[in-house]
Amino acid sequence: MAGHGFSTNFPPQLGAPGGRQFWRSLDELAGTEEFHAFLAAEFPSLMPLANGIERRSLLRAMAASLTLAGLTGCKWDTPETALPYVRAPEFTVPGQPKYYATAVSLSGYALPVVAKTHVGRPVKLEGNTDHPASGGASDVFLQASLLGLYDPDRSQAPRHLGRPATWQAFDADMARRMAEFDATRGAGLRLLTGAVTSPTLLRQIAAMAQRWPEFRWHVSEPLDDGNRRAAAQLAFGARLDRHLHLERADTVICLDDDILGPGPHQARNARCWSQRRKAYRDGDGACRLFVAEPTPTLTGAKAERRLVVSTGRIAELIVALERMIGGETGDIARLDADERQWLERAAAAIHSRPTNSLVTIGANHPPPVQALALRLNSKLKSTAVQFTAPIAASAEDGAVSLVQLAGDMAAGDVQTLLMLDANPFYAAPGELGWSEAADKVPLLVHAGDHYDESAAHSHWHVPLAHELEAWSDARAVDGTASIVQPVVRPLYHGRAAQELLARLMGDYRDSRAIVQATWRAVWRDDFDARWTQALTRGFIEASAPAAVSATPLDDPLGMTPPPADGLTVVIQPDLTIWDGRFANNAWLQELPKPFGKITWGNVIGVSPQLAATRAIRNGDELVLEADGRQVAGPAWIMPGQEANTLTLTLGYGRQRGGHVAQNLGYDAYAFQGVAHQHVIAVTGLQATGRKLKVATTQMHQAIDGYDFVREVDDPRAAASQSPNTARASLYPAKIYDSPSWGMSIDLDACIGCNACVVACTAENNVPVVGKELVAQGREMHWLRVDQYYEGDPVAPRLHFQPVPCMHCEQAPCEMGCPVNAAVHSEDGLNLQVYNRCIGTRTCSSYCPYKVRRFNWFEYTGDDPESLRAMRNPDVTVRSRGVMEKCTYCLQRISAARIAAKREDRPIGDGEIVTACQQACPTQAIVFGDVIDPDSAVSSRKAEPRNYALLEEANTRPRTTYLAKIRPEGDGE
Amino acid sequence: MPQIFTASADTRLRALALLLVPFLLVCVLSLGGFMESTYGTARGWVVNQPVPFSHEHHVGGLGIDCRYCHSSVETGPQAGLPATEVCMTCHSQLWTGAPMLAPVRRSLAEGKPLQWQRVALLPDYVYFNHSIHIDRGVACVTCHGRVDRMPLLSAAHGFEMSWCLDCHRNPAPHLRPPDQVTRMDWSDWDNDRERQRAFSRQAMAAHRIEPEKLDDCSLCHR
Amino acid sequence: MSDAAIPANRRYGSVSDEIVDIPLSYPHRRGWWMAFAIALLLFALFLVSVAVLFLRGVGVWGNNIPVNWGLAISNYIWFLGIGHAGTLISALLLLLSAHWRNSLNRFAEAMTLFAVVCAGLYPILHLGRPWLFYWMAPYPNTMNVWPQFKSPLSWDFFAVFTYLTVSVLFWYIGIIPDLASARDRARKRRYQVFYGLLALGWRGSARHWARWRQSYLLVAAIAVPLVVSVHSEISLLFAAGPIPGWNTTVFPPYFVLGAAFSGFAIVSMIAVALRSALGLGDLVTERHLDLLGKLTLATGLMTAYGYAAEVFDALYSGGHYEIHTMMDRFVGADAWSYWGAVIANFLPLQLLWWRRVRVNPLALFIIGLSVAVGMWLERYMLLVTSLYRDYLVSSWQDYHASFWEWALFAGMIGVFLVPFLLFVRFLPVISASEIKETLFEKRQAGHA
Repeated sequence: MAGHGFSTNFPPQLGAPGGRQFWRSLDELAGTEEFHAFLAAEFPSLMPLANGIERRSLLRAMAASLTLAGLTGCKWDTPETALPYVRAPEFTVPGQPKYYATAVSLSGYALPVVAKTHVGRPVKLEGNTDHPASGGASDVFLQASLLGLYDPDRSQAPRHLGRPATWQAFDADMARRMAEFDATRGAGLRLLTGAVTSPTLLRQIAAMAQRWPEFRWHVSEPLDDGNRRAAAQLAFGARLDRHLHLERADTVICLDDDILGPGPHQARNARCWSQRRKAYRDGDGACRLFVAEPTPTLTGAKAERRLVVSTGRIAELIVALERMIGGETGDIARLDADERQWLERAAAAIHSRPTNSLVTIGANHPPPVQALALRLNSKLKSTAVQFTAPIAASAEDGAVSLVQLAGDMAAGDVQTLLMLDANPFYAAPGELGWSEAADKVPLLVHAGDHYDESAAHSHWHVPLAHELEAWSDARAVDGTASIVQPVVRPLYHGRAAQELLARLMGDYRDSRAIVQATWRAVWRDDFDARWTQALTRGFIEASAPAAVSATPLDDPLGMTPPPADGLTVVIQPDLTIWDGRFANNAWLQELPKPFGKITWGNVIGVSPQLAATRAIRNGDELVLEADGRQVAGPAWIMPGQEANTLTLTLGYGRQRGGHVAQNLGYDAYAFQGVAHQHVIAVTGLQATGRKLKVATTQMHQAIDGYDFVREVDDPRAAASQSPNTARASLYPAKIYDSPSWGMSIDLDACIGCNACVVACTAENNVPVVGKELVAQGREMHWLRVDQYYEGDPVAPRLHFQPVPCMHCEQAPCEMGCPVNAAVHSEDGLNLQVYNRCIGTRTCSSYCPYKVRRFNWFEYTGDDPESLRAMRNPDVTVRSRGVMEKCTYCLQRISAARIAAKREDRPIGDGEIVTACQQACPTQAIVFGDVIDPDSAVSSRKAEPRNYALLEEANTRPRTTYLAKIRPEGDGE
Repeated sequence: MPQIFTASADTRLRALALLLVPFLLVCVLSLGGFMESTYGTARGWVVNQPVPFSHEHHVGGLGIDCRYCHSSVETGPQAGLPATEVCMTCHSQLWTGAPMLAPVRRSLAEGKPLQWQRVALLPDYVYFNHSIHIDRGVACVTCHGRVDRMPLLSAAHGFEMSWCLDCHRNPAPHLRPPDQVTRMDWSDWDNDRERQRAFSRQAMAAHRIEPEKLDDCSLCHR
Repeated sequence: MSDAAIPANRRYGSVSDEIVDIPLSYPHRRGWWMAFAIALLLFALFLVSVAVLFLRGVGVWGNNIPVNWGLAISNYIWFLGIGHAGTLISALLLLLSAHWRNSLNRFAEAMTLFAVVCAGLYPILHLGRPWLFYWMAPYPNTMNVWPQFKSPLSWDFFAVFTYLTVSVLFWYIGIIPDLASARDRARKRRYQVFYGLLALGWRGSARHWARWRQSYLLVAAIAVPLVVSVHSEISLLFAAGPIPGWNTTVFPPYFVLGAAFSGFAIVSMIAVALRSALGLGDLVTERHLDLLGKLTLATGLMTAYGYAAEVFDALYSGGHYEIHTMMDRFVGADAWSYWGAVIANFLPLQLLWWRRVRVNPLALFIIGLSVAVGMWLERYMLLVTSLYRDYLVSSWQDYHASFWEWALFAGMIGVFLVPFLLFVRFLPVISASEIKETLFEKRQAGHA
């Protein structure tokens, strides 16, 4: 190995992996350039756009040289070239991260983020703690947007008729056509977008409408609030957005409304609810949640009383509830015993504090039904709901915009259709017959971040810049506007949506100037100050529309008869990839869906009763039929699902979603009707007899007989007979001095939303392994959220339990490791030293919690360049054959420790925030020094609800849990 | 039938067996010796660089402070290499035409970075933070050696883990006044043991340095 | 015990003739070549599966979280168990001077040797980064890091290597005199040189015999405690873990007895095979088969007691998880491995109560085979049924060995067979010198 190390006559033996180049005298400087050329050839990984094969071979060689390095600990590993700046940017300290406040978007709404960047590369997104809407809460989509930026499948250049083209060609073509439209006053020019909250975009669209009077703008958002606005229209005579203030709601009655579930509102709602819940635990008021729903949701899981009903019953329930509250005792006969009891309890709860009560109905229900709830709230004078003008602007034809457009297209009234960040060829309801209609359109132009279904059907496709690459603006769910600033140089040649529209109008400025123009008009003179402030804070103060007083009309609501009983399909957003826009996001694909813990695909949710009567087992292929439309997918039995309800989720069955999205699941859009988009009566259901592979991370979910998730009757009750009693041990107990780290997870606050899991994945370079390996039980998540069913599968209690490494004081893994790779640190951490690990896997065999993860193959070596750029440089990238696990975000601890030491001060409480803790919308996770009695984590652990998982194993975990609080009168 | 084995065969066999022992011993020792040697640790070997930069001239001769070029050494984990423009602050005036500096000028002109080869090389799984070491008063020379005597830069130490641990387990003797960390020649200190001890005692107390906590794996491996 | 295994009036020379002439002029070469060809094929399979394993990673196996260990570790224990009978027979019985063992010890030791080699390979192969296996050994290094001596695995490392060394020594010391006589009887020069070198210049002088006796007994004395210690230690690999079904004190004796059990079973198989293949009926007599049968029966019954004790442990502990694991072994997904083990181990075994069965070579062979299978199932059961359902319901996950795991197992049998067949072909499979010694002693006794 030393042999080539000393070759003095290079390049011949140059760069053989495992060797470094040496020369002894100046005259050997000859051929330096050659050397660099050779270096470039030999080490493609140092060069941009190296192709995979070379990189793989290089990495294998590197592994080999590491072997030897392991033997001798000597320095003959691959040469490392250091590239300093040519001109160093100001205030840049290599290795020191910088933070920028900006936003990413979900269904048009801004999710405010703070982006952590290393030398110009964003490596982590966090919620913006200053933001009035979210207060720093985040969700899986916010966390995963980072991967969206680095997605290797992103569209990189314009295409004309599927063939690569240039922006010049596109601009020229557009310029010509727009000129023609000037002649025809824009007749036949249509723009299709998703929901839009960007003031700049709206300004531009308005300008287009002004320039081309015949021009029409259409909005298609698969999961929008159209129905809710329609309901407001019926109830108050005005299209309004409702804003829940769960922090004020002592009692919430959710009728098939997943207010805590995924979506733009999740972070805000979850944060507000958890505030109320905490206040309740501290003895202030109540926090009662009554949920009636056909299928389990995150909201239902937190319900005090969860009533399992078909969607058809919701209308009945709201009517009955209103009458009960009105003190009516007359015949509410059409209720069965459970419904009556549930309603009585709910009504009683409302009676206790009407003004702090809230009744909500899901957006899938007909506007008149929702309107009932809206009116009921105002009758209760509920302070927990407010109304504003719509945050996301809607096209004048409102909810039916897409239908209108399709009609016009079929009628041949559309000459040019611009699809801006919309994918109707995939997401239009099957019944609409979109692609047939589209055949009649002479010119289809698609702008999107992927070359997706719509791109493939379009004459022109142009790539959009990622939100983190360009300037833009958007409003959060509460209406607060944010300036979206780029945090990285564009990776590819995409353009911001604003730039695209500007160019159509002949405005060739860049996105920054365009956005500034919008706000200069608003702020006029003090533009500069406000602009800087907006960028530094991440949002524009007091930019949310004022709440309007909504006075209920009392003209009758035309109630639509509920769908006849019988098999009903409920189509929901997917809990991890939403409406399909995240289908190519590997983090979200591998993220287990909260119920069933299914990854890499969607299933057809079936009730236990139906499964029993039809002899359906998990994984059986089912074919559903309605109005001649069919959908086929694997069955999955969902305890707590209404007997005759089947659930489908959107977002799968992509034809052209990218490499990750390809060939996964079924397409529920194709099954959607135009009138009935989300609730469809099934006319046929049969099993084909085929078994489909479903990759789940948790095969068993019945918790009966175990006390993993503990419950207490009130916040003061003890969860453990022997709280924190250390049992006898052969090893002497170690005495720790401060700091000594520990974590507390409050199961009463946890809503099982998975934000922590994605945050952990992003922070710790956790690899994605794919469907096959997940099915084999080889997923790599350091933090998992276990989901359990308790009791009768027809109406079970639902539990979530996040399980990171417990950092046991008496850690079996440490005792098992033969090479000291699993060791305990002076500050109490249970360490895993990757570079020492030889992969005996004893630690994992001995781990009672099975939280350790093993690199069965080389998962990271073949990552494409872009994904390497995304990695957190403060965390080692693990290679093949090494065990890994949760480290309590060691890198964050180290950073804080070094900072504190340099200032010769102790580390402050709350100075270290783990990734999961930071992401959690309900602040269920607290981390800190367990020696300091005043630290947040210590006070948590002092609570009577505190208990250790598997106490009997006597591992003395540093991660402990706070028990759930059982609703009154529910004691066992 | 002739004998196959002569009478002395046994003796030779025994002799061979005896010889085997020292032979194996030598093998083991020489392997260890190799690892310790400059061949094993790359100590003192000059690496091929785009420009034959002389620390001897710039540090020893001109007395430029380390921090002028390695500017982030006090503030960040990495000491940082000088941007091309830093070189050019002087060399736009001095040696403007020197062929040896052609790569530097080209780098500035083309905006392409110089490709230095690392000399002080740590594996990727080792996280070393310069700022805290500087802050505690570990002098540059402790790890990087007398660069002011290196016409061409070479590693002064092998950076084996044991070498790091020696200091982490007994840091006192290596502590210096933080305001003088970039000083190269500490012979006066090394001669004046008393003064040195006195100072390190203060330093250890002042910063509450606890060596028993300094050999946690997590300090360098994450 | 006195014994009439071999008629006292037998000529010394005839013993050597019969044993030592086998390697010099091997009787049925075709049969041997066929067996050897098969062994070589298996060995090739071993090489292939190891290549695949090293190139792609342990992922080619069926292991997962929670079942981190699969066939690799259960086979490791199985092979090591087999390796115990050899030493037990030769060393222990030597110290007890039970002379009838002289007809069995040589090939029993050889079997031990090669079984231990196979066993020793597994822990290295199952590593995530096998090229770093030497980190388990204590040696001064530039990292200032030593093995973690609390870990059963680092004890494994020492246990297996010690056992291997001692077995080699014991076996080799024992064979020297016979190598010498092979050297002297050899006609072909290359044989003379081959055996001559191996015989280390043995001349059979009185001093040679004295020294030989000393060292042989000494090593035997060292080997005997190893028999107990090694497998007790291996059992701690399980028993030290806090996993239900593992964490019990019965494991060390349970494992040692199981090991001896499986070992005797294999020895009886080999004895029967060699006996018929090489026509050694007069040296490996019915009496030997009878004794082997008895030993197998005895150790088998003790192992059965281990099973009972395990169940008792679980019930007596009252531990929720212990009992659950026990029930799962009875009726769970892998119940086949539990009942398979019980049936294969203990049902045919009962036939050995009858002498007629014990002295019937075929019967003995089949029972031995059944026990070998049974003990394999037991090792598999102990490992898998504990891991795949441990504490948290959420981490339960099934395990199915992959093709490459089975391939490696088959290959490993090749690794065992190849050297063993070479031993059968080229070395004296039975200790002639010791048998003659016994004859001599008997005659002395007769005259006196």
